Amino acid sequence: MRVRMLAAAAVAVLTMAGTAACGGSADDSGAVTLKLGFYAAAGDPADTTMRELVKEFTAANPTIKVELDVAPYVKFFERLRTQIAGGQAPQVWLSDGVLVQEFAARGALADLTDRVKTVNADDYSGIELNRDAKGRIYGFPQGAQTPVLFYNKKLFADAKVAEPTADWTYDDLAAAAKKLTKDTNGDGKPDTYGFRTYSPGFTESWWPIIKAYGGDIVTDDNRKVVVDSPQSKAALDWMLGTMGKDGFAPDFATTEGLGKGVVHTLFATGRVAMSYGIYARTLPATSAGVDFGVAPLPKGPSGRGNVAIVNSWVVNKKASAAQADAAWKWITFFSGEGPQRKWAELGEAIPINKKVASTALPADRHAFLESLDAATDLGANAVWSEYTEALAKRVNEALSGATPVDTALTSGQKEAQEVIDRFYAGQTQ
Amino acid sequence: MAADRRPSARKRNAGERAWAVAFASPYLLHLVALAAWPLLASLYFSMTDYDLVSSPKFVGFDNFARMFSDGLFWRTLGNTAYFAVLFVPTQTALALGLAIALNQRLRGMALFRAAYFVPVVSSWVVVAYVADAVFNPQTGLANQVLDFFGLPAANWLQDPALVIPTLAGVAVWKGVGYMMVLFLAGLQAIPEERYEAAKIDGASAWNRFRYITMPGISGTTFLVLVLTSIETLQSFEQVFVMTDGGPHGASELTVLHLYRQGFQFFQMGYASAIAWVLFVLVLALTMVQFRLQRRWVHYA
Repeated sequence: MRVRMLAAAAVAVLTMAGTAACGGSADDSGAVTLKLGFYAAAGDPADTTMRELVKEFTAANPTIKVELDVAPYVKFFERLRTQIAGGQAPQVWLSDGVLVQEFAARGALADLTDRVKTVNADDYSGIELNRDAKGRIYGFPQGAQTPVLFYNKKLFADAKVAEPTADWTYDDLAAAAKKLTKDTNGDGKPDTYGFRTYSPGFTESWWPIIKAYGGDIVTDDNRKVVVDSPQSKAALDWMLGTMGKDGFAPDFATTEGLGKGVVHTLFATGRVAMSYGIYARTLPATSAGVDFGVAPLPKGPSGRGNVAIVNSWVVNKKASAAQADAAWKWITFFSGEGPQRKWAELGEAIPINKKVASTALPADRHAFLESLDAATDLGANAVWSEYTEALAKRVNEALSGATPVDTALTSGQKEAQEVIDRFYAGQTQ
Repeated sequence: MAADRRPSARKRNAGERAWAVAFASPYLLHLVALAAWPLLASLYFSMTDYDLVSSPKFVGFDNFARMFSDGLFWRTLGNTAYFAVLFVPTQTALALGLAIALNQRLRGMALFRAAYFVPVVSSWVVVAYVADAVFNPQTGLANQVLDFFGLPAANWLQDPALVIPTLAGVAVWKGVGYMMVLFLAGLQAIPEERYEAAKIDGASAWNRFRYITMPGISGTTFLVLVLTSIETLQSFEQVFVMTDGGPHGASELTVLHLYRQGFQFFQMGYASAIAWVLFVLVLALTMVQFRLQRRWVHYA
């Protein structure tokens, strides 16, 4: 009797668990529950706006119930990995653009190629940046980031230096930066630097500079590291010069000594007159009341080296058909004019809806759009986090002066290539 | 005949064992679910290629073989050993010194003891902020002190040569209070008569310390050394919040390397293998310490 009762209880528990697990699928009435994940700090304006948009979406789609899964960036992606392992990941989530291929290559994401064909690709930016080596698309753009040259109008006016133009070269940048560097308290150290060269975030530092000098980081579907070249050396030598003999940029130790994330406020606090910055950097500069402008990246010997990151919505491969349809509905809703305009008001990313971008961005911010049109991707592949970390360690060693540039480039290329080869050895996709 | 109706001794014992198991079952359940099972799972994962998304693929000892040729792993192990060599003796000696200094019957002594204990209960995030106020190359107190003595400024946490000594210093500051309390307990357990007898025999202060205090607290010293060594090999939070392994990996300790492999680079199999190697190292180190303690620890 006791055994029977226990068995009955076990069956009841299992049935309840099964029912809970199937909660996301469409029921007889066609209702579907969708777990939607995104990263934002609690109470952040992005969090608030996203919640408002979800409300709008569910009001327009009463058969779709949305459960939110929100956490700050680092926590979100740390948790996501274990959620995937435990089968508890959201059915649709906002992915950092550079992580899309990492999750896709391990079979966590649904292939969106056919769904993307149903929209007019010309209406959106960044779709092509998400295409993998085999032409498949695993993420639909949510917002774009690309670096341009930020400059402080007041500091330029005070130093009587002409503002940057689209024709500027790296020599023009250096000449202006030297004039803008000032030691106002006479302690022998600049209080205002002309330019911020080094940043731990290489998207706004050595990556575009190496490309502008004619070097490259990865080629052949982002599987071959080619950073060890005379062009890359020339780029890093130029950067070292700005922090050393030319002295118009804060050096590695000074920048790192500011603390985590503070490098991004160097421009907003007026410590540097010019800086490469992605669109999100307009927020701290605006909040600080800086009168600033943006210009295209200067021309190097081989162009401007524009790069972009397109943060994207991705769909869980394990989502049911009904959930995947609901997820795609959300993605197309978010890409529409209304939500994009509302998201653009936050000022944290370039809208991927081209019509909205052209009107929501002020005319003097259109350098971002031109940069985005010309941008290549940031070397995304299945092991992006690991190989870029291996490479960045070596490049930063060179930029700190701890290692000669050519030694750092040789070892960086070797170590980054080992990471890529380890993953792709024996892979068919 | 009445004795025949009583349960046999064997039955009684069985009944008592069942009750014992029933009372211990919450703990046993906890042990199996939260310790034994994850331990066995990680042992299995260490022999697989497991990316958290697809099913683990059995690869035998490949992950362990990879570790031998993984320069980064050896570098992090070297960093950890360097950190341990600086941290363990410094903290132990300082904790003992503080305990002796504070083992006095004076007014306000409890306040001093509490003051040394405050960093122990602070989180590493808070300590990281305090450390930044001290070691910031531009605004930190440490460089102001150097400047006062006419010495050149240092890039404490940004200099590959200084980062581990600086981290070890901060770790000592945070942890010394706890070990000091252990030493205080050890000191107070030494009978006062031994010191009185030694004084009557004319023993100097140094000889009293050497022949009474040191043997008297040798058990505590052993405990402190074992605990500190294990703590060092498991260090993670401090470097995670203070340097993130930088600059250029100069402060990347083995557990941070393990965390990155598992939770950032989708290599949970390899991360599990590192965890097991670390476990074996901790075990070996502890066994060596236990073997050596026979020569110098006195429990009488």
